[in-house]
Order: sequence, then C-alpha cells, then structure tokens
Amino acid sequence: MALLLAGPQLGWAQAPAATAAPKPAAGAPRGRTTVQYAKGFTISYVAGGKLVTILSPFEQKTTATRYLLVPRGAARPAGYADAHVIETPLRSLVALSSMHVALADFLGAADLVVGLGSFKYASAVPVRQRIAAGKIYEVGQGKELNNEQLVAQHPDLVMATGWPGESLARFQTLEAAGVPVMINSEWVETTPLARAEWVKVLAALLNKEDLVNQKFGQVARSYHRLAALGHHATQRPKVVVGLPFKDVWYVPDADSYLTQFLRDAGCTYAWDQTRAPSGSLALSFETVAPVALAADYWLQTGTAMAKADIVAQDARYAAFAPFKTGQVYNNNRRTNAQGSNDYWESGAVRPDLVLSDLIKILHPELLPAWQLYYYQWLK
Amino acid sequence: MAALLLPVAEVSTAQLAAAPPSLAAAGRRRAAWLLALAGLVAVGFVLDIALGPVRIPLAAVVKILLGRAADNPAWAFIVREIRLPKALTALAVGSGLAVSGLQMQTLFRNPLAGPSVLGLTAGAGLGVAAVMLAGGSGAAGGLAIRALGVGGSWGLVLAATAGAALVMASVLALSARVRDNVVILIVGLMIASVTSAIVGLWQYFSAPEQIQEYLLWTFGSLGGVVGPHLAVLAAVVAVGLGLAFASAKPLNTLLLGENYARSMGLAVGRARTLIILSTSLLAGAITAFCGPIGFVGIAVPHLTRGLLRTADHRVLLPGACLVGAALTLGCDCLAQLPGSQTALPLSIVTALLGAPVVLWVVLRRNNIRSSFS
Repeated sequence: MALLLAGPQLGWAQAPAATAAPKPAAGAPRGRTTVQYAKGFTISYVAGGKLVTILSPFEQKTTATRYLLVPRGAARPAGYADAHVIETPLRSLVALSSMHVALADFLGAADLVVGLGSFKYASAVPVRQRIAAGKIYEVGQGKELNNEQLVAQHPDLVMATGWPGESLARFQTLEAAGVPVMINSEWVETTPLARAEWVKVLAALLNKEDLVNQKFGQVARSYHRLAALGHHATQRPKVVVGLPFKDVWYVPDADSYLTQFLRDAGCTYAWDQTRAPSGSLALSFETVAPVALAADYWLQTGTAMAKADIVAQDARYAAFAPFKTGQVYNNNRRTNAQGSNDYWESGAVRPDLVLSDLIKILHPELLPAWQLYYYQWLK
Repeated sequence: MAALLLPVAEVSTAQLAAAPPSLAAAGRRRAAWLLALAGLVAVGFVLDIALGPVRIPLAAVVKILLGRAADNPAWAFIVREIRLPKALTALAVGSGLAVSGLQMQTLFRNPLAGPSVLGLTAGAGLGVAAVMLAGGSGAAGGLAIRALGVGGSWGLVLAATAGAALVMASVLALSARVRDNVVILIVGLMIASVTSAIVGLWQYFSAPEQIQEYLLWTFGSLGGVVGPHLAVLAAVVAVGLGLAFASAKPLNTLLLGENYARSMGLAVGRARTLIILSTSLLAGAITAFCGPIGFVGIAVPHLTRGLLRTADHRVLLPGACLVGAALTLGCDCLAQLPGSQTALPLSIVTALLGAPVVLWVVLRRNNIRSSFS
C-alpha cells in the first residue's frame, strides 16, 4: 500500500531509455488503443464516444464501473444509462496519488494537473514547478477530501485510488456537484507492465491514443528485451526484500508485481509461489531470517540511505549475508527534498527502467553500461 | 533503602506474628503456590524458546542454548538472536506490568486501576507519535504522522520515555498538591484522554500507509528488544521491581485506607511518590521498548489474589511477578502460532486469553471489594 504513494519524477525526454524507433502498436488503428496486459480495465470505441470500464475498482468481486467518454459539447450517446459521463479531452485533472501524476507526466500532460492530494507526493519536475508557481491546490489525502474546494474549482476529473471495502458512494458529494471521479485501481494488477498500462486510461481521456501507443509500446518492447536477458541469466542469486518492523516482515507474494520484477530479473525468491489476498505476506521475523541469513542480495530496505541506518534500527540485521558482503540496494536514489521517492511515481510507468536496475544489480555483466536509476548501493 | 525513607506501621507483621496455626498452614500453601508458579515460568520460558514458526528440534535448541555449535547456523541465529531475547523480554514485561498494576490497584484502592490508568501508556504513545510527525507542507501536512524509517529504535524508546515521563511529572506534581487518590486517578484518566485525542487528531490528518508503523507500535511487540535495548530494559525493570518490593509494607498499610495509614504513622505522601515512581519506571520503560501491552497490568493482580488468597503484598508482589511472567510467556507462545508463518500482535493475545481468565476468577469470588478494604 505504501507502494502507491511516496516519491520524485523524470520526464520522458531525459529518461535514459534505449529503445527502438517508435512505431504504432500493432492492431490499433490511428487514434485508438488496445489493452494488452492489464486485467483491471477495458477500453472500447463506441458510436459517439469511448467506453472505459474499470473492472474491479474497489475489490475483486465488485461490479464494474463504466465511464462514457464523449467529445466536449457533444450529445451523450444512447444506451449507456449506468455510465458516468466525462467530457474529453480533459482540461484539468486532480490527482490523488503520485501514480496519477506519473501518468500525466508520461503523456506530457503535467500542465493539466491543477490539484493534488498532497504536495509532498509529487516528483515530476513540471508538476513541482507548477506547485512552486502556486498553480496547484491541495485537496487532502486519505479519506479527508476537501469537497468544498473541489466543488468550487470544478476540475474536469478527479482521479482517485480504489481501496477494498470502499465504494463510489464515498464520492457522492462530488458526483452530485457534477465533478466526475474516476477510480484508478492499478494496484489490482499483478505484473509491472499491466500496472503501467493504466496510462492508457488517461490517454483515452486526453485523446492521446497515438502518443500512448508509441510511448507505452517502447516501454513494453524494452521491458520484454530486458526480461529475456534476465530469464537467460545463468546465475540465480537469492534475494530477500524489505525491512522488518519488530516482529513483522512484509514481503511481496506470488501475485505482486514486485515478485514479477524479481522473476524477470532472474533471481531466486523464496515466496515466489505463496499467495495472499492482500498482495503481501505478513511474516514473522523468524520465518524470513533464515532466508535473509543466506541471501545474496537484500533489496528495498525501507528509507535507509546507508547500511548504518539499517543496523541502527536493529543490530541483528548485520548478521545477514548480504549485509556482510555489502550487497544491499535500496530503491530510494531519486528521493527529493520533500522526501518523496520517484520510484513510486515515475517507476510505475517505467518498469523497463526498474528492471534495468534490478538486472544491473543481480547480473552486472549483462548490462555493463547501465547506471542505476531508481536503486542505489548502500555504503 | 526505600524502607528507611518510610516509617511504616508494623501492624501487619504484628498480626502475622500472632498468627494462629491455621494461618501458618495457609503460609505453607502460599509457599507451595509460589514454588509451583516459578516452575510454570521455567516451563513457559523453555516452551517460548522451543516453539516458533520455524521447527527446530528441542535437542538442537538445548544444544544451541548451551553454547555448542549448531547443525544449522540459521537455527542458532533464530534461537540466540530472536527467541532468547524475546523470552527474556517476556519475563521483564510480564513481571514489570503485573507488579505495576498491583501497586496501582492498591494505591487507588480500585480494582479497575492498572499501569495505563495514570496516563503513562498514553503519554508514551504521544511521544512516539510526536517523533513521527511530518514537517510537510500545508496545514494538514504539519499534523500528519509519517513512517519513522530507520534509526527508529532508540528514537522510539527515547520518545516514549519522554512522553511517559512528561505525564508522570504532571501526575507527581499534582499528587503533591492533591491529597485524594481518586482525584489523581481521574487526573490520570483525563491526561490519557487528552493525549489519545492529540494522537487521534494526528492520525486523522495522516495517510493510511503512513500510520502503519505507528499502528504496529500500538499493537505491542516483544520482538524488537535485543542487545543493549534488552540490557537497559532489564536494568530499569530491576530497579522498578526493587522499589516495588521495598514498598510492600506501605502497600499493606495503604489497604487499610489513607487516613488510617496516616494515623498508623505512615508518611502517605512519600509512600505514594515511591509507588508512583516505581510504577512509572516499570510501565514507562516497558511501553517505551515494547509498545502498549494491555491487560497484563490489570488482569494479573486479580489472578494472583485469586490464586494466593491473600492481601499481603509481601506474598502478592512475588506472586504477581511470577503469574505475569508465566502469562506473558504463554501468550507469546500462542502469538507465534506454531505451524504458521505469521505472528499475532501480543496485546491482542493477552486480552483474548486474559479477559476470560479474569472473569472466571472474579465471578468465583464475587466479593472482590473485600481485597481493597
């Protein structure tokens, strides 16, 4: 859950991506896009508009929520009585999660962001500049949305994160005031590319299908090429992930996109086949300790900036093999002055960069020229 | 040392000296109980080290504890670095909280009193929440709790200690002016309410994923106390227990009521300060290192009185130590859920297991009021 928020950002132009010349994605005519990886939403093109269906906005069994995207000023097509109507292209967007900031920045649409859940959780340079210029308002995070401000500002769309156990009723005040709310549930996805593909939802809202086909296509091709490298790696180093708090050690389960990253990076991960309803396993320290003691690499160690930060928390961590051999890497290299970590923001739409980092860490010989982007080696 | 500070009426000793033969028999019965309880603690200690999510043969556990080389280095790490410190922490936590609760109940002559009643636990929670406050942007951001991140352990302990000490100082200052124990009890409850409200306000303004670490802390845990932390906790609990045992006679006298105790020559104010100091040391340090562990403090004194059938604190204090340690060790065994890879929060297990036991004891002897008069 902490994965959804926290973090800084990069523009596409500065991204060190090594990709082939842009080509339109196969199978999608101009101005349209198709969904290849994501299981959480569908996009279909209907007479007079587009239909975006969010399949499990709040939890696995919830009925789908449909959004009808119609050109601004055009009449609503008949036959979609249950669908929420959103006029396209969007002119203003309120993003409640840093993930949504990443989606906008990926599509070169950062200037559409007029509101944020919290100023702290934005890394994208254009968005930070807009915050500094006073062009963005803060609407509160969690359950305490500033409805009055949202109604007064009347943005074209509020993009919210869906949480299990909630419903769209939480936003009924906004709906009643005519402010559309879209639930973005990228967290239901089980692979990095599926999670990143949610950028196509925003692209459909912005009529930027051609751009997203080109840019997401590049990311996907780059990711597949890297994953092929990882799968063919001869060594399978043993990896332990995360940092415990007292008795509890949360580790990603088999269906977590992080576990998919580890599979694609070519390593041995102890909970590769263990499933949990929440996407992570709450294990006792004692259960994870034997794995950590014998691991080759230790990844994602909370907010630690140096190995000393880790032992300061608990001296026992010094006994773990990766700690002794100096193979500890954290994903917080791109943490900005506000303390937000771009890994959780742009990393969501650039799984190719994340995978490059992981392969560079686990199999340095496979990507000799790569400089770590989100991860850093802890001294 | 503390006994020198406190001129104490020898009433209870005199009574005991004149004890009829039947009382001597009761004394022997109590000694047998204490011995049995000590055995139970020993068994619980061994079980707590032997049981856990990772199955380790008992023979290997004993071998590791005796300092011999283990067949599996991971087992040695688990036994020496995880289970042994946790079992030792359980001993300190169980005995410390139980004794602190017993002292509170007697001082306030109230069966509902416990270490959390003086607001100590809430004060420690306030301290921890305060260091987790973000300096973020916006009015709401400044009131948000954030993940403490690394370097948390000593910071957490210091913050909790400072919070508990702040509350203790206020209570001590008040108790010097206010003579009525019930008023002090109410003051403690009100301080607890205020600190809880402040923490609640901060939580309200925090994102759910940010308060996870704080929530985990509030569940209570024995697992984070190792190395120098364990040494400091053990030392503070030892001092607190020493002060408590030194206050056994004043506690006996206080059972007769403050006015009567005063007329017997007890310096009630000094006795009260000593007792509050002892209970603050115990509850404050334990909460600082392990988080709020509810229930042991309020339940164990009742359980101990029910088992030992006495109001004499010279018997009750060691009894509460043993019962508290045994109960905490037992709850920790259950919290580890043998066969499961998940650990349960200790404070939930203590309440789930402890509440029915206390109900049973209280219902069996329905004149619990008699213990306090």
